[in-house]
Amino acid sequence: MEAEPKIRVLMVSDFFFPNFGGVENHIYYLSQCLLKLGHKVVVMTHAYGNRTGVRYMTGGLKVYYVPWRPFVMQTTFPTVYATLPIVRTILKRERITVVHGHQAFSTLCHEALMHARTMGYRVVFTDHSLYGFADVGSIHMNKVLQFSLADIDQAICVSHTSKENTVLRSGLPQAKVYMIPNAVDTAMFKPASVRPSADHVITIVVISRLVYRKGADLLVEVIPQVCRLHPNVRFVVGGDGPKHVRLEEMREKHSLQDRVEMLGAVPHSRVRSVLVTGHIFLNSSLTEAFCIAILEAASCGLLTVSTRVGGVPEVLPDDMVVLAEPDPDDMVRAIQKAISILPSINPEEMHNRMKKLYSWQDVAKRTEIVYDRALKCSNRSLLERLSRFLSCGAWAGKVFCMVMIIDYLLWRLLQLLQPDDDIEEAPDINFINDKK
Amino acid sequence: MVSSSLSDKRYIYIHESGSEASRGVIDIHHVIIKGSRATSCLKGLAFFLVGLAIIIYYLPGKDNPGRTLSWSCLLSGFFVMIQSRKFVKKESVIIMPTFGIQLETQYLSGKTVSRFIPIGKILKPVLVECVTPVTCYWSLSLFLRGEEQLTLVFKELRPSMKMLVPIWKALCGVIGTDQSEMITEEHVVSG
Repeated sequence: MEAEPKIRVLMVSDFFFPNFGGVENHIYYLSQCLLKLGHKVVVMTHAYGNRTGVRYMTGGLKVYYVPWRPFVMQTTFPTVYATLPIVRTILKRERITVVHGHQAFSTLCHEALMHARTMGYRVVFTDHSLYGFADVGSIHMNKVLQFSLADIDQAICVSHTSKENTVLRSGLPQAKVYMIPNAVDTAMFKPASVRPSADHVITIVVISRLVYRKGADLLVEVIPQVCRLHPNVRFVVGGDGPKHVRLEEMREKHSLQDRVEMLGAVPHSRVRSVLVTGHIFLNSSLTEAFCIAILEAASCGLLTVSTRVGGVPEVLPDDMVVLAEPDPDDMVRAIQKAISILPSINPEEMHNRMKKLYSWQDVAKRTEIVYDRALKCSNRSLLERLSRFLSCGAWAGKVFCMVMIIDYLLWRLLQLLQPDDDIEEAPDINFINDKK
Repeated sequence: MVSSSLSDKRYIYIHESGSEASRGVIDIHHVIIKGSRATSCLKGLAFFLVGLAIIIYYLPGKDNPGRTLSWSCLLSGFFVMIQSRKFVKKESVIIMPTFGIQLETQYLSGKTVSRFIPIGKILKPVLVECVTPVTCYWSLSLFLRGEEQLTLVFKELRPSMKMLVPIWKALCGVIGTDQSEMITEEHVVSG
C-alpha cells in the first residue's frame, strides 16, 4: 500500500504541453521530480484544440485540460469569476493542499490563485520572465500582478535579477520571494561522442525564436561581420519567427548561402542533435530572466557567447560563457574572443560540471522547502486579507477589495448550490512502472 | 428481487438480480432521480402560467400591454410543458449475459427510449472523468466496435462513483474483462 502523498500540489498555467516552451518544460520536469519525491501533482491548463478533459502523463501526472478557449497568445479569456466553479471542483476532487501558479502572463494562473486564496488554500507563484515598467501594457500587467501577489504565501523567481524585477513590480516583501533557478536535463543534452573538428571550420549555432525580443535584429548585424573577419566560420540558425525574412535578406545581400544554414523550426527533441554539430552557441536575447537555452548548450559542451542581459550572467560560470553588451560590435569582439579560447574547451568536462551544478531533482527539493514554508503560513481572515489589497493604490486598492469581496460571496453561493460534500473525491491511481 | 440499493441527495440506485448462486440471470440496475416534488411543481407552474394568460387576456381595461403579457405567459407555459417532456425520471441498464445489454431512459411524460447493444459489439466498459467548463464528474461509457465515439451508459443523469462502480463491475463480468488488467493499483477514497 502506497503511503499517503505528503503534499498535494496543483500546478496552474495557461502554458503546458502540447505547447512547447521554457515554462511548459519547467512545469513538466518539476512535476516529475516532485512525483518521484512522493508528492501528488496535478496540472491544470486550458484545452489545446481537441485535447480536452483529463490526461495522464508519465509517472501518473494528471493533467486537466479545461475546455476554456485561449484568446491571445495562448492565454485564456479573462472572465475573473467564471473559472471559480471548475477551480473549486478540481481543488476538492484532488484534495489539493498547495496551488502553484506559473507565469505572470497567464490569466488562468491569476484567476486560479485568486480563487484558491478565497477558499483558504496555500498559494505559491513562480515568475519566469522579466517585464518592463514604462509602457502601457507593462503598467497594466504590473497592476494585475500587484493584485495577484498581494495575498500569496510565497513566490519563486528563477534568478536574482528576476527576483529584483518581481519585487519592484509587485511590491512583495523580499523575504517572501525565493530564488530557485531552472535546470536542464543533462541526461538528454550530452556532448557528441566524437566532437566535430575545429581545425578547418568553426560552427556557431543559434537556436531561438526569430523575434525582436530574442535579438534577431542583432544577428542580422553580427553574422555578416563575423563571416567577413573569419573565413573559417559558418553559422547554423535554427528556429522560426517574423524576423526570418530579415535573415534571409541578409544571406542574399552578403551572399552567405553556403556559410549560413537556416534550419527553420527545430522540434525540441531534435535540438540536441543540432547543438552537437557546433562549437559555439550564440544567444542574442535582448531580455532574459534565466535562459535555459545556454544551459542546454553548455550541457552539450558548447562554449556560449551571450548578451549580458537580465539573469544571463548568473547562469553559467565565467569560463563557460563570454558575455557582451547587446551591441553588434561588442558581440563580434566577444565571438572573436570565444574563437580564440575554443581550443581549451573540453566538452565532456563541461558536461560533467553542468551535471553537478544543475539538476531538476535539486530544483524539486528546493521547491518542496518553499511548499513547506507556505503550508506553515497561518490562515488569514477575509478582513486581514482585504487590508493588504488597500495598500495597492488609491483607486486600485478599493477595486481589488471589491473584486475579492464579490469572489468570496460567489464562493459562498456556490457552496449553497453545490455543497462541498457533493463533490466526489477522485481516487489516487498509482502507476506501477514494471509490467507484471 | 432487489439485492442492493444506495441513495444520495439526488439519485436512488437499485440493483435487481437473481440469487448469487445462479449465473446467467438478467441483471438490472436502475438510477432514479429524486425530487418528484420538483417535477410536479413544474407541471403546476406550467398550468398556472396558461391560466394566468387566459385571465389577463379577458381582463377589462387597456388592451395592448395586457394582451402582450398574456401571450407571453401562454408561450412560457407551453414552453415549460414541452421542456418537461425532456425531464428524465429513471435510467436503467439491463444486462443479459451472453446476449447483450439494454440501456433505457424513462421520461416524466411516460415515454421510454431504449437502445440494445449486442454483447459482441462491446469492447470495454470504462469509467471516465468528464471535464466541462464549470465542473468535472465521473461517467460510465462503453467502447463499441466500429464506433469512434464512446457511448454513455447514462445519457442524462450523473450518478456518483459509488453507484457507477457496481454497474461497471457487472459489465466487466459479463464481457469477461479482467478488472485487475484495467487499473494497476487503486486507492479508493471513502466519502
